[in-house]
Amino acid sequence: MNKIIIGEQIVKSFGEGKERHKVLDRVSVEINEGEFVAVMGPSGSGKTTLMFALSGMDRIDSGKVAFDGVKLSDLGEKELSDIRRTKMGFVFQQPTMLKNLNLLDNIILPTVRDNRKNTTAISEKARKLMKRVGIGDFEKRDITQVSGGQLQRAGICRALMNEPKILFGDEPTGALNSKSADEIMNILSEINEDDGTAIMLVTHDAKVAARAERILFMKDGIIVNETKTSKFARKNLENRVEKINLKMRELGI
Amino acid sequence: MYNRIIRNDMLKSKFITVITMIFVAAAAMLVSLAAILVVNLSGALDNLMTQAKTPHFMQMHSGEIDRERLVDFAEENRNVDEFQVVEFLNMDGAQITLGNNSLAHSVQDHGLSVQNKKFDYLLDLNGRIINVSDGEVYVPVTYMKDNTTKVGDVAVISGKEFIVAGFLRDSTMNSSLSSSKRFLVSNNDYAELLGHGEIEYLIEFRLKDYSLIGEFETMYASVGMEANGPTVTYALFKTMNAISDGMLIAVILLVSGLVVVIALMSIRFTLLAKIEDDYREIGVMKAIGLRLSDIKKIYLAKYALIAAIGSILGFILSIIFKGVLLENIRLFMGESENSSYGLLFGVLGILLVFLVIMTYVSSVLKRFRKISVVEAIRFGTSQEKRAHVNRLTLSRRKLLSTNVFLGVKDVLARKKLYVTSLVVLVISVFIIIVPQNLSNTISSKSFIQYMGIGHYDLHIQSNNPDQTDQIVNVIDSDHDVSKYVVMTTKTFKVKMNNESEENIKIELGDHSIFPIAYSEGRAPASEDELALSDINASEMGKKVGDMITLEIGGDEEDFTVTGIYSDVTNGGKTAKGVFHDNSTNSIWTIISVELSDKSLVSGKASMYADEFDFAKTSDIDEYVSQTFGSTISSIKTASYVSIAIALVITILVTLLFMKMLVAKDRYSIAVMKALGFTNMDIRVQYVSRSVFVLIIGVIVGTLLANTVGEMLARSIISSFGASTFNFTVDPLSAYLFSPLMMISAVLIATIIGTSSVEKIKISENIKE
Repeated sequence: MNKIIIGEQIVKSFGEGKERHKVLDRVSVEINEGEFVAVMGPSGSGKTTLMFALSGMDRIDSGKVAFDGVKLSDLGEKELSDIRRTKMGFVFQQPTMLKNLNLLDNIILPTVRDNRKNTTAISEKARKLMKRVGIGDFEKRDITQVSGGQLQRAGICRALMNEPKILFGDEPTGALNSKSADEIMNILSEINEDDGTAIMLVTHDAKVAARAERILFMKDGIIVNETKTSKFARKNLENRVEKINLKMRELGI
Repeated sequence: MYNRIIRNDMLKSKFITVITMIFVAAAAMLVSLAAILVVNLSGALDNLMTQAKTPHFMQMHSGEIDRERLVDFAEENRNVDEFQVVEFLNMDGAQITLGNNSLAHSVQDHGLSVQNKKFDYLLDLNGRIINVSDGEVYVPVTYMKDNTTKVGDVAVISGKEFIVAGFLRDSTMNSSLSSSKRFLVSNNDYAELLGHGEIEYLIEFRLKDYSLIGEFETMYASVGMEANGPTVTYALFKTMNAISDGMLIAVILLVSGLVVVIALMSIRFTLLAKIEDDYREIGVMKAIGLRLSDIKKIYLAKYALIAAIGSILGFILSIIFKGVLLENIRLFMGESENSSYGLLFGVLGILLVFLVIMTYVSSVLKRFRKISVVEAIRFGTSQEKRAHVNRLTLSRRKLLSTNVFLGVKDVLARKKLYVTSLVVLVISVFIIIVPQNLSNTISSKSFIQYMGIGHYDLHIQSNNPDQTDQIVNVIDSDHDVSKYVVMTTKTFKVKMNNESEENIKIELGDHSIFPIAYSEGRAPASEDELALSDINASEMGKKVGDMITLEIGGDEEDFTVTGIYSDVTNGGKTAKGVFHDNSTNSIWTIISVELSDKSLVSGKASMYADEFDFAKTSDIDEYVSQTFGSTISSIKTASYVSIAIALVITILVTLLFMKMLVAKDRYSIAVMKALGFTNMDIRVQYVSRSVFVLIIGVIVGTLLANTVGEMLARSIISSFGASTFNFTVDPLSAYLFSPLMMISAVLIATIIGTSSVEKIKISENIKE
């Protein structure tokens, strides 16, 4: 299996002088093409920082991150932006939509930056995606005119527009009620299974993590444990959630 | 506690605090300068005219004079306080050499005078009445200013050598707008040179009650006293002396008013942003029961401090710069007795600026009342209202690139936010274009048409009617002359409404050859038509279409007023007609000439000057530059200063605006970056916003400059005689270079102001 991301000995610190502390302490991680990975851990364990480091949104202090065979630390700001825009997709806890644009425009935004002339085709593709995630009727709505769950679906559409190799999610269901959260997770699982898009999710919710085939447990800036599950085992979600909770208690997370 | 809050706050936003302070300082400086200049100008002018005892009424006269009759008139008129007849020995400019410079090409009438005994004194640069010795000459101060000569130079007048002993201030002829200049020599020297020039008389009166000047003028004319030349009154002397500096003051006042508005705008802007920043704190303070007035106090105290420091700085700057601006007033009029009042008024002006700022801050702070505690604590920001411009969607946009589209869309969606910056840009464009157009208008050749002078190349003035034919013969046979016209000026009696009579000078000839601009109506075309100058029309109470009665050769004849025009020549009191008259002698004849090849003008001017040494030949460009030169240069300086001020304002405000916008938009910038937009993409979006607002600003500003600005300029220019005119716009400069300068300024400021975009980290701003 080809590795889409290879992270080796990643170190990242925040703060100045005496207050400086390591948030990632020599973390190594690999993600395969089409793999669904979840990262769990308590607040401050470094899981979001790890996601930012692997996606090139933040520079690391030392170590190495390679994406699709390219070492990210060798790239400039412009090349990093290009990679994020064309090969990665992002879904955040808050919907991160631009207030000036309607739902459809928000979704096509990163794509039309490069393909000015194909706006019609791009819009058509966006409409199909919107239909697929169940917000087909809302394309002209302002972002203040739809619910949080609908916004999050729009966020997923935006992330998928450029057919990314990997989709990063930072607590994508964190701000949603459980019904909406389940629906979002169904969509993400489907994308992973049907389209073969790799997913890396940061979450503290065992129910979300239960969808992943591999779970990394983080604490104090290091990966303390890792579990892998077969596709079959993931069908029995409740059982899996229980196992994850048990593991977390075991690890003192 | 307040002190600590304010100090921390200012340290945190050093840049913004400094810029706000600069604006306040600039506004305060300009207001203070304007006040100081006004007080000094009026003080110095009064001082000069008091020390020199400027005549209340002066009739210039060439030709015979009946002194006894004049003395009788003066004695009989109870309002006359003092009376004198002053001689002005008219010398051709070619007869005068100062140091190494000949005055041959000067358009001024130069003449020798002796010191007067009763009034109309010629003063030295210390304001003292000059006592001149034999062999010495005192030269008009204007020749010191343009470096024609200096003290100790040898001056040669009609072959006789003099030493330039000093410079003189002449309260009646100081101004470059006055076409005559007096040189002061001793009685003996004057007597010696008497045969070398033509004597012109200045019949001068000081009145006991100047308010009755109108009555006196009527009386003077109605008894048929000598009147072969212009008549000038005290008020006109005052206006002519004040014009150049007055215009400078007007421009400074205009600019200072606008800078005050800009200072207020930037305060509004920074204050609103600050309220936005502190939204949650204000909500919390409100929630825990602090009174609104307490919260307001913190902000008021901060702006009071900024405004106070800015005002003091502005005052100090105005003290530093006032010297440069007062130089001209000091040279031509001397010190003002009340110059300390100048400082007082400067301080008052600054206090006014301070008060205006504080009132304004206080009114902006009324917004506190609208802050909802719940909204503030829940969201931490005011829930900004955005206009939803639904028609403009990314999915349907055709022309613009994504980044430009996003920039434009943002401006349209958050109009309120951009209004402040738009207003500032509009004002900046206004400040750049109006003085520039004004300066262009005054220096353009066609401007003199608004001042009663036609559009020709040369004019030859002869005071001797017998020699006119000789000039006409030469001109008529000159192949380089494309057209010419002969205008003869004669004095007639005009019947006033109250049945009294006054003198009126009428220029007779064909007025269609070199037309002037009429503020109302048209030029006279038939024998029974007349056009009146503005001043004459308003003094006589005549409008276009009214009848006017003249006494010609003993008969009364009626004329219709066909037009009214502005005139700066001959004291502004002239008339134009086309009728023929043999009943009276002409005062002077002017032959206006247009040449087929403009490059020949200066050559022809000197050729005719040599050929007609009995007449005065002037090149019109030269005439304009010498007559209005100092005014034009004042305005030109003001227009350059305005451009500089406007550009600095534009850069500072745009910088301020961009910095605050980037700070406000940190979150959306982080989102964009996360989505793969590069720093360059984002900066292009900001540049698009700036340029979009700028384009609107330039259009609105230019429109306003050409409408409201023209009106303002008209009111300034009407102060020296030209009541109607249209801007002469240099399209290249007004519509290309000025916008280009603005665009460069805005671009530079936007690029610098958005540099912090690069420092915005996704990880720090997209917090979960």
